[in-house]
Amino acid sequence: MDPRRKEKIHRYKPLSPAGQPAPSEDLTTDYMNVIGMIFSMCGLMMRLKWCAWLAVYFSCISFASSKINDDTKQIMSSFM
Amino acid sequence: MFLSEKCMMNCQAILLFHLLALSCLLCGVYGSNLDTDDNDFAEFEDFQDEAFEETAPISPPQAEVKQDFDDMNVAEDDFDDGVTIEVEDWDEFEGSPNKKEEPKITFAQVPHHLRPNWDSFVLELLILAGLVVYFINFFLGRSKNQRITSMWLEVNRTVLDENFSLIGDDGKLDIENPGFIKDAEHLYSLWCSGRVCCEGMLVELKLLKRQDLVSIIQYMLKPKEDTIQMTVKLDDMDSFVMCLAKKKVASVFSKDMTDISTYCPERKSAEKLNVPSNYLLMSEIGEASTALIDQRVVSFLNKYPEVIESIHISDQYSGNKVPEEGAALTRLPSTEKVVIVTLSLCGRNLEESIEASKLVTNLVLHLVDKASRLRLTREAKVKAEKNRQKVEEAFLKNTHALRAEAAAAKREEKRRLEKERILAEEDPEKQRKWEEKEAKKEAKRKAPKMKQMKVRA
Repeated sequence: MDPRRKEKIHRYKPLSPAGQPAPSEDLTTDYMNVIGMIFSMCGLMMRLKWCAWLAVYFSCISFASSKINDDTKQIMSSFM
Repeated sequence: MFLSEKCMMNCQAILLFHLLALSCLLCGVYGSNLDTDDNDFAEFEDFQDEAFEETAPISPPQAEVKQDFDDMNVAEDDFDDGVTIEVEDWDEFEGSPNKKEEPKITFAQVPHHLRPNWDSFVLELLILAGLVVYFINFFLGRSKNQRITSMWLEVNRTVLDENFSLIGDDGKLDIENPGFIKDAEHLYSLWCSGRVCCEGMLVELKLLKRQDLVSIIQYMLKPKEDTIQMTVKLDDMDSFVMCLAKKKVASVFSKDMTDISTYCPERKSAEKLNVPSNYLLMSEIGEASTALIDQRVVSFLNKYPEVIESIHISDQYSGNKVPEEGAALTRLPSTEKVVIVTLSLCGRNLEESIEASKLVTNLVLHLVDKASRLRLTREAKVKAEKNRQKVEEAFLKNTHALRAEAAAAKREEKRRLEKERILAEEDPEKQRKWEEKEAKKEAKRKAPKMKQMKVRA
């Protein structure tokens, strides 16, 4: 018996009930973003080259872990 | 495709920006170390002054020069400029014979970093090399994850085509890109719908972050595997909650999952179901778990003991427990009837694992059909209903107690403010009257409440 039913098609909507955040929500992007900004400010204010380079690295990690839906402007600004 | 192209373009833009930034940085480094005097060549002035050898003193043939200039004057007169140049002070000219000091030859002090010496840029080169390696890994990791996704879809395509009318929903009104939706470089989801017994199935591929070098190093220290979670939302099922999971997963579920922690907090060994010993069973209604963990499931679990992480079937699914943030829930969280199967892909043998995932997909659909058609006995139904009623009553009681507590706190606060206001007043008469009023209220509140009964003679 063919179990397919065209009339029972439902369009995709997120399954998490009551608007709860996903249990495995990854906060790496946010943490790396913040740490990168801190290091970049340190590098700028205290003129420490290694801080600036570390900030670039953290921005790269944040970019790699980011989701597609995340605001690209924020990520680009963290690179700057 | 569009999303991956966008990412590729983003990466390329970032690489270009880095190159530009690096070149600006190098220019800035060069520029900042030059003398900031108005004279850009001040650094080399002395060098030039002193390095040149003293030539033979030039005897100022003043008379000759003067005459030449006179001639020039004559020539210039023709132009009616009337300019006469008289050279009187020869000291202004270089190599003037009036200077009797011998020039000192010294070597110019050229700053160290302007010398073509790459040793001073070793750190920067190393860091840049690291960045290049990171980005190469990014592209490689991303492409591997994409390959795994497309491999899974290719292997399971037949099964999905046979069971669902809609495979892949990109969220747009007219579906332009059926297939997996890319949530991140390591997260993909596929929505399938149009089948009996269920609203739809969401397949989530939670892959390793192969695109992040730091994560790869983390996985070397703490190994992790790619997981696939298949969540099917059922139309209808009887009331029961059960979960068969590996030991580690079971301990997490029994603490974090709302329905499991509420309805089946006990973890029992699943050996009596002939399931491998690394699995634990959490079940509200015994006959439901016995009926669902049938021969087909058992044989799969015994053949592939490492593949399935958990099988969770529930009519009260509401996700993880929400941590209380002070304000209590005003109503019970909304629940769904679901079948959730989580499996892991063995990293050592990825192709075989993906082939095995096809069997898991078939197993999931088998469980969906069985869970929808399963009808519990009367006793089991009564037991399930009782459990649900207990939970609801406990929730209302808890809410009531919290509400009463909040009301009492509010009342106390009001009294305290009133008392402070009265004490602040200077009139003792008013204070006495207020205190009498409060005492009467307190006595009335504490007195036992009795109903008046009218008795007819």
